[in-house]
Amino acid sequence: MVNKKIEKLLANVQKPGRYVGGELNCVRKHADEVDVRFAFCFPDIYEVGMSHLGLKILYSQLNTVPYVWCERVFAPWVDMEEEMRKNGLPLYALESGDSIRDFDIIGFTLQYELSYTNILNMLDLAGIPLKAEDRHSLSQLVVAGGPCACNPEPLADFFDLFFIGEGEEVDLEVVALYREYKKQDRSKEEFLKAASQIQGVYVPSLYHISYHEDHTVKAIVPKEGAPLPVKKRIMMDVDKSYFPDKFVVPYIEIVHDRTVAEVLRGCIRGCRFCQAGFLYRPFREKSVDVIDRQCHDLCDSTGYDEISLSSLSTSDHSRLNELIDRLHTWTEKENTGISLPSLRVDNFSPELMSKIKSVRRSGLTFAPEAGTQRLRDVINKNVTEEELMKTVNTAFKGGWTTIKLYFMIGLPTETLDDVAGIAELGQKVVDAFYANPDKPKGKGVKVTVSASSFVPKPFTPFQWEPQDTMETLRKKQRHLVASVKTRKVEPNWHEADTSFLEAVFARGDRRLCGVLLEAHRSGCKMDGWQNFFSFPKWMEIFERCGIDPAFYANRRRSFDEVLPWDHIDYGIKKSFLIDECKKAYANVTTPNCREQCSSCGASCFKGGICYEKRQGLV
Amino acid sequence: MKNVRVWFKKIGTARYISHLDLNRCMLRAIHKAKLPLWYTQGYNPHAFITFALPLSLGIGGERESMDIRLDDDGITREELIGKLNAALPDDIPVFDVTEPVMKPGQIAYASYLMKLETQGHPPEETAAAIRELFSRETVVVPKHTKNGMIDLDLRPYLDRTEVVARDDGVEISAMLPAGSTMNVNPSLLCDAMKKYLLLDLFSDIRRINLYDADFKIFE
Ligand code: SF4
Ligand code: SF4
Repeated sequence: MVNKKIEKLLANVQKPGRYVGGELNCVRKHADEVDVRFAFCFPDIYEVGMSHLGLKILYSQLNTVPYVWCERVFAPWVDMEEEMRKNGLPLYALESGDSIRDFDIIGFTLQYELSYTNILNMLDLAGIPLKAEDRHSLSQLVVAGGPCACNPEPLADFFDLFFIGEGEEVDLEVVALYREYKKQDRSKEEFLKAASQIQGVYVPSLYHISYHEDHTVKAIVPKEGAPLPVKKRIMMDVDKSYFPDKFVVPYIEIVHDRTVAEVLRGCIRGCRFCQAGFLYRPFREKSVDVIDRQCHDLCDSTGYDEISLSSLSTSDHSRLNELIDRLHTWTEKENTGISLPSLRVDNFSPELMSKIKSVRRSGLTFAPEAGTQRLRDVINKNVTEEELMKTVNTAFKGGWTTIKLYFMIGLPTETLDDVAGIAELGQKVVDAFYANPDKPKGKGVKVTVSASSFVPKPFTPFQWEPQDTMETLRKKQRHLVASVKTRKVEPNWHEADTSFLEAVFARGDRRLCGVLLEAHRSGCKMDGWQNFFSFPKWMEIFERCGIDPAFYANRRRSFDEVLPWDHIDYGIKKSFLIDECKKAYANVTTPNCREQCSSCGASCFKGGICYEKRQGLV
Repeated sequence: MKNVRVWFKKIGTARYISHLDLNRCMLRAIHKAKLPLWYTQGYNPHAFITFALPLSLGIGGERESMDIRLDDDGITREELIGKLNAALPDDIPVFDVTEPVMKPGQIAYASYLMKLETQGHPPEETAAAIRELFSRETVVVPKHTKNGMIDLDLRPYLDRTEVVARDDGVEISAMLPAGSTMNVNPSLLCDAMKKYLLLDLFSDIRRINLYDADFKIFE
């Protein structure tokens, strides 16, 4: 909703549609008829945040509760921020236009480390004290969830509590508790103490961290009966877990402007670099009936004519073909297309291709992640060159001529030969095109090999690994470019310096809170946007704070070091991660969960693939 | 097959979406309402949908129209209105569906209502100043065109302008050239006030109606 104060600023900004709300299916309630006002904040601009499925799920779900009004808040782009600051308009929620300073709960979703400065900037723009210790009343409770909450320590000073794991149930429990404590006029301390007893809630102020002289963590000690470890929450019955039948449909074009169906959670594969693959274990599928109904409801309520079957690895759904056939029974009549965002190399069948041919003709993407078989074994990416070739040949036959291959550089044990292997693999795909008798006539082929820099993440077997220094990463990037011998292969890479900062915050500890605060004061924001990110500025800030970023990014940890996130428990045993790390150095792969259980620990959640019968067990 | 003209308002939040976004929004609404939209034949079928005269960003519209071609003539006016309203955001309400009478190309004028905030100044004084400005011999403002900036004299277009003082500000009703040949954006009037009177007033502008060259209401 817009009021006069907001309207006056809109004439001077780009894309005012970002700041007005009022979209189809947005939820309006009366502020005086609810007990809890919840600001769901996404620390990036509207177009990015509105594309995010988690926001859509939790927004709708919180609003199903009659006494809660959940509204959306995004980071304003710099032009709007400038107008807001100049005219003294604090950060407001889109549905009501009300300042979020007076809200009960301000919740952030933590999707990537480079958005951390935006969080502080948004709190500041709202007029909310940044540090939890400076907020004394029960209201203005600042909370967060999302994948980066797995290591919340660099943000510990700013948040009152974190949600660990999947939010659907625990969010509601915390909101209910909040309402009770608010009615009884109890203090924030009392509330936090009670909240910390709910599974999946981490209250950082209830843990004392001590450090060794070399700055590594000495001990993590809970206070006031707070649990150790803090165990994640997870929805074991994904068919029954809440899924909205309505999405807010933006007026303006966003990144993913379509119906998104969630077909499964978790992943059966244990790629050793992939944090999501471990955080969301175990693998849980939705049934065809449920997905079909959810897709149909959403298409009916939004008017979208495209469905994206989303998940970490959609093609691992055991009934994918059946699902697509079922969807086709109505999508064709209704002129609705189906797209699969994540395709794996090894099960891209001609059959599957013919069914999704109608959409996304423009380009196909695959992620072999490493250029040589040896290195793919190291990272447990169980994809062979033969499979990749089979797949691209299927794609060429189907008329595709643009292929994008994703890789990482800087992986553990990587040599320059592995890097050259990326270019060679690209070349082999080009050669396969020309050798293919069924290739599209009169067309050339284009293969993009895109290399991002590896960032070691918590809760993966590589959590102890040093990240390559920026010099090494740049050397490898140059080597990749030099290894490409034809114009049909186009190398592509990202700047190493943002990956470095990501690596610092991904495995950081509470000492980084001061760095973030200083970064915010120095004007750092929108670090995920190339033209705003300033590496020299960040280095100055680390220097001023007396903190060596290489300690976090480039240092090898020993297996017995206390890690800053050791008190957080995602169900994966540390001993399993250590074994996986050792296997990586021995070039030994681990079978996926469907082939064989490797006892990672996630069976403690009592469901999903851990309890499924395996076919053809050897 | 039949052509229908859908009449709607673009108010509140919808004022801040571009013409391109409105177009997508309408297509989605038609899809959601499951209207039997007629598609062109051939390799790349597309729907027939055109808007009479796109509004500029930030300006509201009280009587906007969109022409669509339907594959089925059995559907009633009431059904169409009901289905579209159920599929559109609140700030784009459909209030009528008619058979098109004039062609969008015939549009030559548009009427606007502009509400200016005078912020503490007595509205009567401000209104008088604006009236005086609008009656000068020339009122020249810079205007963006395809060929860059030009100086435009607003004087010839200000004869059908009325400036009235209200309790909370000044209200201007204006009738300005609109359409493919000549188009005068009402915000140019504000530019003139800024330039000549140094009045930078917040203005809420709504387009009320469209007319042909003989000032007959667009139907
Ligand atoms: S296939 Fe590998 S990279 Fe992809 S989600 Fe699963 S574990 Fe992660
Ligand atoms: S316990 Fe076994 S089946 Fe379950 S997630 Fe871990 S490895 Fe996979």
